[in-house]
Amino acid sequence: MDQELLMKQIVEQVMAAMKTGTSAPAAPAACCGDKVTAANYPLAESMADKIKTPTGKDFTSLSYEKVINGELTADDMRIAPETLEMQAQVAESVHREAFAGNLRRAAELIAVPDERLLEIYNALRPYRSTKEELLEIANELDGKYGAKTAATLVREAAEVYEKRGRLKKF
Amino acid sequence: MKSKRFEVLAARPVNQDGYVQEWPEVGLIAMNSPFDPKPSIKIENGVITELDGKTRAEFDMLDTFIADHAIRLENAEKAMAMDSLEIARMIVDINVSRKEVLDITLSLTPAKLTEVVGKLTIVEIMMGMTKMRARMMPANQCHVTNVRDNPVQIAADAAEAAVRGFAEMETTVAVARYAPFNAMALFVGAQTGRPGIMTQCALEEATELMLGMRGFTTYAETISVYGTEPVFMDGDDTPYSKAFLASCYASRGLKMRFTSGTGSEVQMGYAEGKSMLYLEARCLAVTKGAGVQGTQNGSVSCIGVPAGVPGGIRAVAAENLIAMLLDLESTTSNDQTFTHSDLRRVARTVPQLFSGTDYICSGYSATPNYDNMFAGSNWDAEDYDDWTIIQRDMKIDGGLQPVREEDVLKARNKAARALQGMFRELGLPEITDAEVEAATYANGSNDMPQRNVNEDLKAIEDMMARKVTGVDFVKALDRAGFPDVAHNVYNMLRQKVAGDYLHTASIFDKDFHVLSAVNVPNEYHGPMTGYQISEERWNELKNIPNAIRPEDI
Repeated sequence: MDQELLMKQIVEQVMAAMKTGTSAPAAPAACCGDKVTAANYPLAESMADKIKTPTGKDFTSLSYEKVINGELTADDMRIAPETLEMQAQVAESVHREAFAGNLRRAAELIAVPDERLLEIYNALRPYRSTKEELLEIANELDGKYGAKTAATLVREAAEVYEKRGRLKKF
Repeated sequence: MKSKRFEVLAARPVNQDGYVQEWPEVGLIAMNSPFDPKPSIKIENGVITELDGKTRAEFDMLDTFIADHAIRLENAEKAMAMDSLEIARMIVDINVSRKEVLDITLSLTPAKLTEVVGKLTIVEIMMGMTKMRARMMPANQCHVTNVRDNPVQIAADAAEAAVRGFAEMETTVAVARYAPFNAMALFVGAQTGRPGIMTQCALEEATELMLGMRGFTTYAETISVYGTEPVFMDGDDTPYSKAFLASCYASRGLKMRFTSGTGSEVQMGYAEGKSMLYLEARCLAVTKGAGVQGTQNGSVSCIGVPAGVPGGIRAVAAENLIAMLLDLESTTSNDQTFTHSDLRRVARTVPQLFSGTDYICSGYSATPNYDNMFAGSNWDAEDYDDWTIIQRDMKIDGGLQPVREEDVLKARNKAARALQGMFRELGLPEITDAEVEAATYANGSNDMPQRNVNEDLKAIEDMMARKVTGVDFVKALDRAGFPDVAHNVYNMLRQKVAGDYLHTASIFDKDFHVLSAVNVPNEYHGPMTGYQISEERWNELKNIPNAIRPEDI
């Protein structure tokens, strides 16, 4: 839970930075002190001005015309970590904690490239990896992408796979 | 002498189906196996150290995952100590709210959940569904496939299905390499018929995710989980890999749900002597623990197994109810063919159709049975009018509405032409005017000209190497002179940036307004509450074209 709290703080700081246009202010901006709830949902309608693409574009600036003239690409049509954090808060406000946890784990994985994400998923399948390989992946998720809850899940898997004989066999 | 009566009965379709006596030792028992564990829980220092009769040292992989992730710990000991009959009565008591029930059931173990629903008759299970499903209004999903993977036919069938009312559509392949064409044809066809329909393509897990990342699909469903560890391993996954996969989808703004169902473990030979319903309750606990918003369950493709044992179809309804008791989006199967009897196939669907679920079928075949690549469906295109007339008879909303032939032909033709134009603009093999014409009027693939399969497969390989994405579909449709369809495809892609539809039981209306368990939750608490069919909707549902109107007489 400590990691989740930390994540939340980081995201709140990032959101505050986006709002003020400066880097990581000490005090969060007023808008972000309150949690997003079901009352703000759907965010695309109620909080459109707070949503950005992972490429830093405003959700409200996205348009069909910009897709046609090539100004927007597939990379712009993706979700950003801050948006997933807001959706996680919506989920919590309607008592869906497990789902909110999944959205937070997902927020961490946005930074992992498609190809690598598919590789890691495959490495987690039974008999694919040694314990060391799984722990290396956990360290990569943790160290390279700051994906702490995802890393914890992989470490848990490494322990359980070892106990249940589901690691790679030589 | 042989009885003439028995001779007639023996020839009835229902007697061509297979049945089996209960055989608990191998798991051929729907619910309440003598070998099912007794519910139990022990929590020490915030960790579950005993689950359904096993100590932590005895846990297998599923027990560990469920104990660590699936059960809400606060109140767990109190909820587990309650009499199962009392909880069962709360489920059907209109004076106990959905939320009050969830406060208990989210803290129950799989064995306890199984015991609770085991106290309910089929009618009480249906009352439970009416109250416990997540979204206020029910909806429906269809399959759009064909034996030749003909993309023009997929687009046309999808457009027709959209006009008929489906909120979600699923395709899959006869030939795996056709997957990208099937996915894009479904996408374009659906968006031509009615803006805002979500589409998916059922494939091997990693391939399915890749198509989603590329913007060929907008959600995924065939992420299977199983109730015993050996079967999970045979399925080439673990609860941990599946939980990771769930997050991969959300990280790309894609909605997803897991899939499971009674009978899969016994079919794959490792039921460990447990009842089908208990093993399914474990699947649902894994789903909950992975943090997934919903499930497709209700035996799904293993329906022949529970259908063969006593009380099996009741157990299938009970497993849907368990999903709802875990606050999961409930997508309730009613898909694979399991019987020769028209009476049995209707009876199998009554609990979900009459109660209403988040998606009653998953899916209803939008093609003739012979074109359904999910091994046929319990409901086919030939049954469209039966479905809408049953809705009219019972005054229920099963998600479909009667249609006029000219509206369907218009939608089919436009979808086929839109795909024709998009293929041309993307440099893909030609869709001829003859194919468009055939797709407009076709019932199934027997009515379609054959395509050059080798040429298609080569073009698909090349298209994937060129990294074509959903954004390219928008541009191609615009250039091809279908800006309205292009707008709809663009709007679906845009939804991934906001992520509102990641939430439980989401669908979109035609204006891309999301409707989910967050903003339209089910708040049923007795007569005249919850989803009420509006006058406008009732007019849609009841006005079948073949009803005699007094003014015509």
